[in-house]
Amino acid sequence: MTAKTLMAHVAIPILAAATLSQAHGADFNWKKFQGKTITFLANSNPISQALLTQKADFEKLTGMTLKVDTYQEQQMRQRLVTVMNAHSDEVDVFMTLPSREGEQFAAAGWYADLTPMTKNVAGNYDFAGLSQALLKAGTFNGKLTSMPMNIEGPILYYRTDILKKCGVEVPKTIKDVQAAAKKLKACDSSITPFVSRGLKPAVAYTFSNMLHNIGGSYMANGKSNLCSPKGKEALETYSGLLRDYGPPGVVNYSFPQISALYRSGRSALSFESSNELRTVMDGGARLKDTGLAPFPAGEAGQVPTAIGWGLTISAHSKQQEAAWYFVQWATSPEIQKRMALQGIAPPRPAVAKDPEYRKWIDEAPVRKEWQAALDVLATKGSSEVGYPIVANPQSREFIGQAVQDLILKQKTVDQACADADKALDALIAQK
Amino acid sequence: MSQATATLTQDRQRLELSALSAPAVIFTVGMIAFPVVYTVWLGFQSFSSTGKQSFVGLANYSKLLTDYEFWHGLWVTIALYVLSLVLQLVLGVWLALVLFHAKRLHGLVRSLFISPFMMPPVVAGMMWLVILDPSLGAANYILQSIGLPPSDWLASPTLVIPTIALVDTWQWTPYVALIVLGGLQSLPPSVYEAAQIDGASPLKTFQRITLPLLLPTIVTAAILRSVDLLRFFDIIYITTQGGPGNASNTLNIYGFRVGFEFFNIGYASALMLTLTAIVFGAVLAFNRLRGAVAW
Repeated sequence: MTAKTLMAHVAIPILAAATLSQAHGADFNWKKFQGKTITFLANSNPISQALLTQKADFEKLTGMTLKVDTYQEQQMRQRLVTVMNAHSDEVDVFMTLPSREGEQFAAAGWYADLTPMTKNVAGNYDFAGLSQALLKAGTFNGKLTSMPMNIEGPILYYRTDILKKCGVEVPKTIKDVQAAAKKLKACDSSITPFVSRGLKPAVAYTFSNMLHNIGGSYMANGKSNLCSPKGKEALETYSGLLRDYGPPGVVNYSFPQISALYRSGRSALSFESSNELRTVMDGGARLKDTGLAPFPAGEAGQVPTAIGWGLTISAHSKQQEAAWYFVQWATSPEIQKRMALQGIAPPRPAVAKDPEYRKWIDEAPVRKEWQAALDVLATKGSSEVGYPIVANPQSREFIGQAVQDLILKQKTVDQACADADKALDALIAQK
Repeated sequence: MSQATATLTQDRQRLELSALSAPAVIFTVGMIAFPVVYTVWLGFQSFSSTGKQSFVGLANYSKLLTDYEFWHGLWVTIALYVLSLVLQLVLGVWLALVLFHAKRLHGLVRSLFISPFMMPPVVAGMMWLVILDPSLGAANYILQSIGLPPSDWLASPTLVIPTIALVDTWQWTPYVALIVLGGLQSLPPSVYEAAQIDGASPLKTFQRITLPLLLPTIVTAAILRSVDLLRFFDIIYITTQGGPGNASNTLNIYGFRVGFEFFNIGYASALMLTLTAIVFGAVLAFNRLRGAVAW
């Protein structure tokens, strides 16, 4: 055996293994569940896609096999409902959105309690380094139910070239957005001045940010509060922007349509998730003419929506400890850094300071603005999207319905908010 | 061999055959019966948002009577069904006649016609979603190129049902046409020869001979399309998710959302069983009609 082949066959694997265990904490017995198979139910979004590029690392580190069932978001929930209602142990780990279904799944007993598991971690796991706001958002009745995978929220994507051509300043407030949209419409009729989510179940994601910035709240004294002056102002402002300056057919717009419209160069201002950066920049056409900013302030300042997908363990899993190894690995500083380098905003502030990540951020001005907007999300964010009740997903329907009624001019704001409040009060009263 | 021995042997063989086929029969019946029985049982249960279950008897069915969304969904389902079925039957018969007479283009035309309904509905839905996008889609581009105003298509509460009916008609008219074409090819040539000798015009021949003789085939096509149309789901879910507002919220879409988005499996089961009863009713009505028009 030559020195070169010896190096290739012996030294490199040892070096690789050493680096791997160093990255994941050498003091921890990662091989404890060697030979076991963990089933992971994943939502096919950029977060799981980035995570699963590292799948081989997990299998090599632990000797376990990771079986992945990937579905689109709604189909994933459909599968989950079937599995969990049957009390089946088919799924060990699944992705969850605590801001949407957390209360519901926790009350149904679908989440395992991760609190004791967080004591069993590798030395370099840095539990305290995870976003405390996101950990809090994933805690129900004192039980930690999921570990954050990312941080995201709606931000403003704007076209620097169009704003410059039309003499429009970057909007800092919601009133600025209204004025800018009006000016853009008069300046260039071929461009959609403003776009945000109009699809009924998707509206709450961006509308919540506007409601909170304006100073409104979903509930007051245990009742729905959309007919409060601030609630009505938020409904009118949001729907008015979409009706007067949005694209035709905006009532069917969610993130895929918004990103496609912006990426094709057909919209000037867009409220969309920070997660969509990679999609928006796909193809490179928008790399040099896009600016990013936090969601513009309202009378109550900036209360950005900051949520994150979480990884959780099924309460019906028969191998929760082994499943925790996967959750721990997937939310470790090293893996979250690798995901961040693929455009997934890390739920760990320390990763944002990592030299490798800083280098990636510095490669393009738009990434710097993205990080600045994420910093605002991380420090000022609220995870309230829709009503803070068990039936949160259903509450989003009624918020979306009120906004659509106004976009389509089917009701006055008083009728729309009253109908929504009536339906939402019935929902709040449900146990 | 005596007759008694032969009968005994036959009985034994019959018993053996029954025993051998029993597992397959039991499995098949079980596969059909279990989901139905389970859904009926679920229809008597209530599931709270947190998944807690309780027996509520017929409460889910009485709730249907006062549920605005149910009646609205029923209306949307029927509107979409009637519009799509009429369009598909009329165009399907017309296409079948064209195909029947365009003998030279048989192979090519048939292949082209088959292609839409060979396409998975999800793919068709995605494709039409892009084509009908009011900002980026080809449909409005074409309208504007010929001087017509753009349309909101799937985003308009008044246009969404006709638009979805058009998409479904695009996909399934060829299927109806192929069924009717089969019927046309099996018609007896002697009646046409007699009509020709009597000097009947092509229009009269169609009205008095072709259409009456084709009616059983057309009713068969109507039965097959009725089952699909009343359960219509995929294209609607892909393109509008029941919107804008509730404008395209059919019973099937409503039931899916109640069950899998709001987790009330009991009420969703009651909704789906009601829809199943409607489908059975439509099929039975068409079966009676088929009996009446048989020749």
